[in-house]
Amino acid sequence: MKINKILLIFTAILFTTMACDDYLDLEPSQDISEDLALDTDKNVKSVLIGAYSIFDNPELYGGNILTWSELLGGDDEISWEGTYTGPREIFNKQINAGNEEVRWQWLSAYRTINIVNNVLSALAVVNEVDRDRVEGEALFLRSLMYFDLARYFGLPYEAGQTNAQLAVPLVLKPTRGITGESKVFRNTVEQVYSRVIDDLTIAAVKLPAINSVYATSGAAKALLARVYLQKGDYQAARDLADEVIGSATYTLRPNYAQVFNNDTKSTEDIFITEITNQDRWSAMTEFWSIPMYGGRSGDIVILEGHLSLYDPIDERLALFFTNAGRIFSGKWNNQYGVINIIRLAEMYLIRAEGNFRLSQEVGATPTEDINTLRERAGFGSNYFSSVTLDDILLERRLELAHEGHKIHDVKRLKQNVGPRLYNAPELVFPIPFREIEANENLIQNDGYN
Amino acid sequence: MKKYFALLVLFVLVGYNCLLAQTIQVSGTITSTEDGTPIPGVSVLVKGTTIGTATDIDGKYTLAVPQTSTVLVFTFVGMKTQEVVIAGRTIINVVMEFDTQELEEIVVVGYGTQIKSKLTGNIAKVDGEDLEYKPVPSIELALQGKAAGVFIESVTGKVTSSTRVRIRGASSLSASNEPLYVLDGVPLSLEARNLHGGDNNPLASLNFNDIESVEILKDASAAAIYGSRATNGVILITTKRGKSGDTRLNFNYQMGFSQPSNLREFLNAEEFIDYFRHAAERGDLYRDQLQGNPAGTSVYWRNHAEGRFKRYSGWAVILEDPDDPDSRYLGSQVDTDWQKLAFRNNAGVINADLSASGGTDKLKYFASGGYTKQDGIAVANGFERISGRLNIDNEINKVIDIGLSMSLSHTDINQINADNAFANPIQLVALSPITPVRDLDGILYSEPTTSYYNGLRHVEYATRKMNEIRSVANGYLNFKLIEGLNWRNELGYDIYNLKENNRYGELTETGEGVGGYGFSNYAQTQNILGKSYFNFLRNFGDIGVSAVLGSEIQYTLLDNTWLEGQGFPMDELRTLASAGELIGGTQTITEYSFLSYFTRVNLDYKAKYLLSLSNRIDGSSRFGVNNRYGMFPSASAGWVISKEEFLADNKIISFLKIRTSYGLTGNAAIGNFSHLGLYTTNNYNSVAGLIPSRIPNPDLGWESTAQFDVGIDFGFLNNRFNGEIDFYMKETTDLLMDVPVPGTSGYSIQTRNVGSMENKGVEFVLNTNNLVGEFKWNTNFNIAYNKNKVTEIAGQTIIDPGSSRYMNVVILNEPLGVFYGAEYAGVDPDNGNALWYINQKDDDGNVIDSKTTTSNFSEANFVILGNPNPPIIGAITNSFQFFGFDLSFTFQGITGNKTQLAGDSFMGANANWYDNQLRSQLNSWKEPGDITDIPEARLGYVNGNQGRNSRYIEDGSYLKLRSLILGYELPKSITKKIGIERLRVYIIGQNLYTWTKFSGWDPEVSSDFVVGNIISGIDFYSPPQPRTITFGINMGL
Repeated sequence: MKINKILLIFTAILFTTMACDDYLDLEPSQDISEDLALDTDKNVKSVLIGAYSIFDNPELYGGNILTWSELLGGDDEISWEGTYTGPREIFNKQINAGNEEVRWQWLSAYRTINIVNNVLSALAVVNEVDRDRVEGEALFLRSLMYFDLARYFGLPYEAGQTNAQLAVPLVLKPTRGITGESKVFRNTVEQVYSRVIDDLTIAAVKLPAINSVYATSGAAKALLARVYLQKGDYQAARDLADEVIGSATYTLRPNYAQVFNNDTKSTEDIFITEITNQDRWSAMTEFWSIPMYGGRSGDIVILEGHLSLYDPIDERLALFFTNAGRIFSGKWNNQYGVINIIRLAEMYLIRAEGNFRLSQEVGATPTEDINTLRERAGFGSNYFSSVTLDDILLERRLELAHEGHKIHDVKRLKQNVGPRLYNAPELVFPIPFREIEANENLIQNDGYN
Repeated sequence: MKKYFALLVLFVLVGYNCLLAQTIQVSGTITSTEDGTPIPGVSVLVKGTTIGTATDIDGKYTLAVPQTSTVLVFTFVGMKTQEVVIAGRTIINVVMEFDTQELEEIVVVGYGTQIKSKLTGNIAKVDGEDLEYKPVPSIELALQGKAAGVFIESVTGKVTSSTRVRIRGASSLSASNEPLYVLDGVPLSLEARNLHGGDNNPLASLNFNDIESVEILKDASAAAIYGSRATNGVILITTKRGKSGDTRLNFNYQMGFSQPSNLREFLNAEEFIDYFRHAAERGDLYRDQLQGNPAGTSVYWRNHAEGRFKRYSGWAVILEDPDDPDSRYLGSQVDTDWQKLAFRNNAGVINADLSASGGTDKLKYFASGGYTKQDGIAVANGFERISGRLNIDNEINKVIDIGLSMSLSHTDINQINADNAFANPIQLVALSPITPVRDLDGILYSEPTTSYYNGLRHVEYATRKMNEIRSVANGYLNFKLIEGLNWRNELGYDIYNLKENNRYGELTETGEGVGGYGFSNYAQTQNILGKSYFNFLRNFGDIGVSAVLGSEIQYTLLDNTWLEGQGFPMDELRTLASAGELIGGTQTITEYSFLSYFTRVNLDYKAKYLLSLSNRIDGSSRFGVNNRYGMFPSASAGWVISKEEFLADNKIISFLKIRTSYGLTGNAAIGNFSHLGLYTTNNYNSVAGLIPSRIPNPDLGWESTAQFDVGIDFGFLNNRFNGEIDFYMKETTDLLMDVPVPGTSGYSIQTRNVGSMENKGVEFVLNTNNLVGEFKWNTNFNIAYNKNKVTEIAGQTIIDPGSSRYMNVVILNEPLGVFYGAEYAGVDPDNGNALWYINQKDDDGNVIDSKTTTSNFSEANFVILGNPNPPIIGAITNSFQFFGFDLSFTFQGITGNKTQLAGDSFMGANANWYDNQLRSQLNSWKEPGDITDIPEARLGYVNGNQGRNSRYIEDGSYLKLRSLILGYELPKSITKKIGIERLRVYIIGQNLYTWTKFSGWDPEVSSDFVVGNIISGIDFYSPPQPRTITFGINMGL
C-alpha cells in the first residue's frame, strides 16, 4: 500500500503545481507591443522602413498605382486582356464602388500615412543627427500618398480656380484608437495639394542629397515639380525641374533600354521602388510582362495605336517585344528589381514644357531639352531645329510611356479618353464601398452609387 | 474489493454446501434470435438466490438448482433478461432476444459516462459500427447523415479536403464555427497550416475504424462542461478498448475505385470555333454601336478571334479555303476534352485493417494497425495513411488503475492547388478544345498555345508532397478512494507534424523564368493537456448521485518554419539544397493556454426525476486582461414519465421522458493575441521594418452563447418505435467581429465583441424496428430545421466583404452569409442585352419596385438572392438483415439553400472571353424575338456575366444516396470448419447518386480557397464528391 500513498502524493503535487495563473500570460513571438515600437531611435527608424514596406505593396508603388493610370487613360493604345475583373473594370471605365483594386489602393495608402504619422509623432526619440532625414522621408512618403489619392479620388485640379471639389480626408495624426473622430470628412483638392506642397517643401530642405534607395532632397524636389505641373503652375514646376537637373546628381543613361529592368537604382533614377525577392513581387511585371519573366499571362497588350506614334528608328520602339503574336512593353521584365518612379528624363520634359509655356529658356531651351532625349533615343544630335508644344507633349508620351503618367496627363491637358471628357466622373475612382459603409461622413463621387 | 470478493465466494460456497443434497441438474443451450448462434457468457441465476453460472463458449450451461426453486433468470448485456419457470424440466433451452431498449445504453459524456435514460441533455450517439470501413478519408464524412441537426459537408471533392461541420447552425462570424473534437479525453488541435492548396483536413490522420462510439454533445447541458470551447458543440470520440478473454482478431480488407459523381458538358472543337466566330461577329457589331460607327465597320474582334484560333491550334494543321466564305478552321485533328483530362475515372481505393483485443481481468488491451490509400478523382490528388493504436487498461491493485490510449499515424498527401489557381486541374476546362494537349516533341502545351496555363504541367513537372505525422496519447492514473469515489488523473498530448515539400520544374508556371522553384514548409502543433478530477457515483436509497469536480490545463504551441528557393540546375534535383538561391524563409511561433475548473452534479430520484447542474470556469491567454476568466454554468432537468404509476403498465408507451436544459457556453477560437495592440515586422529592400498590425482591445473575450433546449424521448411498443424531439434556441452574443473601421485610420478592422446571432430549431429522430425475426428491417430517420439569424453587427446593417465575384455578405436579421447581388432579369428579346431588376429601394432599404428592369448593371440595386446555409437537413437509413445478408442504405439531403456557380461567370459567360463555354451557352440570344436566358454572345464585352448576379445562383438542395452497403456473412457452421470465427464479404458504395436541380458539378461545395464563416456555398472549379465503390472482406479470428 506504500506505493499507493507515494503515487497519491506525487500526483497531488504534480497537478497542484501545474495549475497556476501566470501560465495564462503568453506574449506573441513575432510581434511587439505598440508602446515598444515607438520608444527608441532604432525602433522608430524601423517603423519608417515599415512605411516603405507598405509603399512597395502591389497596390501602391509595387506597381498598380502606376498601372491603373495607364489603364484608366488607355483607349486604343493598350488593351487589358487579363482575367482579373478589378483591372478590367478600370480599363473599361466601368468601375464599381466595390472594386477590390480601388479598395486596396485606398486602404494601403492610408496605412502608409498612419505609419508615417506614427514616425512623425515620435521624432523626439530619434537621434538628433538623423532626425531631419527621418522627418523628411516621412513627409515625402505622406505627400506621395496624398498626391496620388487626390489625383485618383478627386476631380482634376483646375488651374486658376478655387478647387473646392472634394479630394480625400487629410489625416495628419497617428491613430491610437477608433473613436468618433476617426470618421473624418473629405478635404478639398486645393487643401490636399497645398498640404502636399508645404510638406514636400520642408522635406526638400530636410532630406539629404544621397540616401540609398530612400527618399532624397532631389526626389522631394522632383515630386514637387510634378505636383506643380499637375496644378498648371509651370514656373514653379520648371524651376524645380531645373534645380534637379542642375544639381548634377543624376545623369541620363546612355541608351534607353538601360533605364529599365535594372537590379538597382541607376544614375538616371531620382526615386524608385526597390523590389527584392525577399519581400514582394513587382506588380508591373505581373501585369505588363509575360510568364517567361514572371508575368501573369501578358495581361496588358500594346496596340498599334500606340506603336504607330513612334518613328521607326526610335530606340524606344525597339524596346517593345512580341510574344505569341502579341506586343508587350519591354520596361517591366525584371520582377525583382527597380520600378522607376521618378527619373531624370521627366525633369527635362517638365523644364521644356514649362519654358515653352512661359516662353523662357531657363537652364536650356525647350528644343535643347527635347533633343537631349531624342538623341538618347537614337536619333542623333539636334533632331529638332525647333519644337512646338505638341512636339514636347508627344515626346513626353513616348519617353514616359507606360510608367504611370497617362491619366494624369490626360486630365492636366484636358484631353479625352475615347468619348469621355477629361473630367468625366468615370475617370475618377469611387470612394471604396467599404469606406462609405464604415464612415458615413464620406460623400461618394458623382456617377457612383 | 478483495474482501468483498472473498465474502461473495464464501457465501456462494456456504450456500452450495447446505443445499447440496436437494438439487437437481438443469442444463441447456442459449441461442440468439438474431441468427440462432449460441451465446457464450450468459449469466444463469436461480431467482432469489446467488446460485448461478455462465454459459460456455458453445452457449451451454449446467446448473445445480435447489428443488425448492422455481425460476431461472437469464441475463446478458444487450439482450432482454428472461425469467423461465423450471416446472420440473432438466433441459431448458432459451432463445434470447436483443434488447431494443436503446435507452438503457451507456453514453459517454464530458468527463464520464451516463446511462442514457437518465440523460437530461441532448447527446447524439453514433456507434463505431456505423462508421466502419466507409471508403472516405476522415471521420466527419463517415458521420454524414448520422445525427440530427449536424450538418457536414466536404468543401470540395478533393481527397482530404477540409470539411465544414455545423451543429445546430453557425454561431460565429469570425471565430471558428467548427465543433470541439475530443479524442479519448484529448481536445484535438485542428489548426491546419498547409501552404499549398486548400486547407487540409487534420482529422484525416485519424483511423476511424478504431472507434467504439462518437457522442455529439449538442445542447448546453451536455456541452457546457467544456466551457469556452463548447458553443459549436463537442464531438467526443472514444476508441475501442480491450475486453478480457481470448485474443480476438479482426481483419478487414477492401478495394475499389472512385470516380467523379458528375460531369458537365462543354463545347467540342467544332462548336467552339462556330460559337466564338459568332461571338466575335456580335462583338464587332457591339463595338460599332459603342463607337457610333455604322454596323459592320469593325473587324477588330473577328480578327482577334481568328488570331486566337491560330494560336490555340498549336501544331494542328489549319485548313482554310480562301475561296469559301464559310470556310472554317479545321482543327479537326484535335478535339481535346479537357474535363476528361482533369479527372480520374478509376481512382484506386484500398483499405486494410487488423485489430486485436483481449487480456486478463487485470490487464486488457486493444491494438490495431490500418492502411488506407485513396486516390483523388482530380488528377495528381491522393491520400495514403498508415496508422497504429494501442489502448491498455491495467488494474494494478484494488486502489489503482492505470491505462493508456495511444495512436500514431503517418499520412502522405499529394496535394493539388486550391480551386482558384490556373494549376487547379479542374480549371483545365477553361482551355480550348481546339488545342492539342502536347506539342510534337511531347511537351505539354501551355501559354501562349493554351489560352491559360495548362495545369497538367503541374501534374507532370511538379511534385507536391505533404506528409503528416500525428500522435495522440492519453495516460491515466485512477485512484479508487472510497466506494463510488474515483480520483482520475490524466496527462495527454497531441503532436501533429505537417511537412510540405513542393518542387516546381522549369516548365511550370511557378518555376518558369526562375529556373525552377521549391519550398519546404514545416509546421508542428504540440498540444499538452493535464487534468485531474474526482468522479463520484453512488445511490443513497432512491436517490442516485453522480458528480464530477476537477481542473484541467492545456497548452498549445504552433511552430512553423518555411523556406523557399529557386534556380535549380535541373528538375531532377528535388531539394532546396540544389537551389541556386534561397529567396525566402521564415519561422513563426504562436501559442495559447487554458486553465479550467469544472464541476457537475447529477441527482435522480428513483431514476424518475432527474436534475443536472454543471459549471466550468475557463481562463485563457487568448482573453484580454480585463476579461481573463469566464464562467459557463448549465442546469437541466428531466422527468421520466413512463416510470410513473399511471404509465407503468401501459402497453403502448414503453418509455417517455421530458427534459429541458439551459446554459452558457463560449467560443474561444478567437485568435491567439487578438486583444493586444501589435507591431509586426515587414521588410523593404531586405531591411526589416515594423508596422502596426493591430489596434489593442483589452476587453476582448470569448463569444458567449445561451442555449435553451426542451426535448422528449419516447419509446412505443416495447421501444420498437423510439425517438426524440427537440426544440432549441441558441442566442450568441459578444460575437467577435473584425469591425470595419474607417480605412483613413490606417487600419481596416478592429476586433471587438459586438455582434449577436441566433439559431432556433427543431430536431426529430425516429428509429423503428419495422420487421423483427428472421427478416429484420430497421429504419433510422432524422430531420432537423434550423433558422439562423444575425441579430447585431456592430450597429451596421450589412458587412460586405466586397468581392466582385462572391456574393456572401452579412446582413442584419438575415442568415449568415446570404448572397447579395444584382437580380438578373433575363434577356431583352429585342437586342440580346442582359437585363437587371433595378429593385429601387426606399430610405429604409426596402425594395419599392421589383418590376422595372435596366440593361445597365450599375443601375441595379443589390438585393438578397438566397441563403447558402441549408435550413433543412435530414437523412434516412434503412437496414435489412436476412439469412446472413445485410443491406443498408442511407439517403441524406439538404434543402432550402442556394449555391453560387461562381466559375460559370467564365465558362457560362456567353463567350465573353476565350474560356471554353458550357454547351448551355449555345442557346444565347441571336435574333430579335428570341426568348432565352442566355444573353447575346459578344466577345470582349461583358453581357450578363458580371460576377455578382443571380444568373449564377441556383437551388443547392440535394438528396444523395450517400451510402449503400450490401454484405453477406457466411454461416458459422461453415466458417468454423475453416477455423474462422466470422467471415463477411461486402460491397460499399459511397455517393452513388445525387438528385438535384443544381447544374454544376456538385451542390455539396464551398470552394476551398474562399470558404469561411461568411463565404460558403460557392462552386469555383471545385471537383465534385467522388462516387466510390469498394469490395471488402472481413474476418474474425
